[in-house]
Amino acid sequence: MMQAMQACFVLHTRDYRDSSLLVDLFTCDQGIMRVIANGAKRPRSPMRGVLQPFLPLLAHWSGKGELQTLRGAEIHGTPYYLQGATLLSCFYLNELLVRLLHHYDPHPGLFRAYHQTLAFLQNKQHSAADKEGRLRLFEKVLLQEIGYALQLDQEAHSGSAILADCNYRFSPEIGLVLQAQRPSQDLARWVFSGKSLLALHQSELDDADCLRDAKRLMRLALAPLLGDKPMRSRELFVVG
Amino acid sequence: MTFSPLLDQLIQGLRCLPGVGPKSAQRMAFHLLERDRDGGKHLADALLQALEHVGHCRLCRTFSEDELCLLCRHQGRELHKLCIVETPADLLAIEQTGTYRGRYFVLLGHLSPLDGIGPEDIGLPALQQRITQEAIQEIILAMSTTVEGEATAHYITEMIKGVKTSISRIAHGIPLGGDLEYIDSRTLAHAFESRLLLSSSSVAE
Ligand SMILES: [Zn+2]
Repeated sequence: MMQAMQACFVLHTRDYRDSSLLVDLFTCDQGIMRVIANGAKRPRSPMRGVLQPFLPLLAHWSGKGELQTLRGAEIHGTPYYLQGATLLSCFYLNELLVRLLHHYDPHPGLFRAYHQTLAFLQNKQHSAADKEGRLRLFEKVLLQEIGYALQLDQEAHSGSAILADCNYRFSPEIGLVLQAQRPSQDLARWVFSGKSLLALHQSELDDADCLRDAKRLMRLALAPLLGDKPMRSRELFVVG
Repeated sequence: MTFSPLLDQLIQGLRCLPGVGPKSAQRMAFHLLERDRDGGKHLADALLQALEHVGHCRLCRTFSEDELCLLCRHQGRELHKLCIVETPADLLAIEQTGTYRGRYFVLLGHLSPLDGIGPEDIGLPALQQRITQEAIQEIILAMSTTVEGEATAHYITEMIKGVKTSISRIAHGIPLGGDLEYIDSRTLAHAFESRLLLSSSSVAE
């Protein structure tokens, strides 16, 4: 039976045999899944040029088991035109999804956030700082969706509200713990101002300090989930 | 099975070629044995020689059996122009147009973070060194129009920002002889974004 077209994005493609592709899709209803696109690399294939990352697609597939066969895909809506550093940020989003989501684990909320983040990033009116803030908010949603939500408005031990003028130490297993004394030098990178935590909680990262802290906190929170393998898309920002 | 282990081995061997399935491998093997044993010997010899001796040019990284390829050694090429391509096949495609007389650098791939392919894997440190050492005045980026090609072009542009040289990227757009209405919307959007200015006097007048 032919199923209806589903909203999805291509996260990654890999050559398969002579003219086919293995495609990792991020779908709204089924999460990440791998499909085979037969003949997609042939010059006259209608899927050529369509199976590219960051394009909003409608696609359908069929088959039994883990590896489904892609039956068709078309661009749905305005194709994004991504360039330069923005494009590298988008690769970063894809690498996060590929590394942190399990196949066939649906996350419609995250799918919406991904779509909105791409739309925001490709808009040339937005400043580099605004775009960076958007990446942090996407990371926040991602952590929520995979069960590692950060409790940004509550002290972990007492349960009392995070206060803007106090400092808190981030501990991956516990959460944010009140840091009354001045932290030692090697502890300092784990400590955050209440102001920055509340800004991230309210998704308002306009302040440069808050933005920098949000980046540091997200790195610390993502590190244990990503493991030892470095994020390759981060390396591409070094010269930028 | 052909009842000849050597023939089976040949058929199996031919299947490592792209586009060659069991049926065509069998046809090729029979053709060589039935009709063209000399051609087959020639092929076997050429294959061995090439695999043994062809490596990569030290300067441009395209295939070459010498330290420097014929193109890099060619006296007539313009030394101040450098065209950066992804593959040796791309280099040949540009050569066949006959419009470019400079030299090349072949990346042998493109940046692809999700495949773990980073700047070192496509020779970018060597490229940077070459650009700073040689008096290159013009760099032409001829990457493919995929997002990976775009990311690679961006990275190279950033990498050589401090170097005094002009950088351009080959235009992508509408194929010659193509009707606009049949062109996919992305290509058309791209062609629009990178449109050429023909005259700018009309606004002021
Ligand atoms: Zn060479």
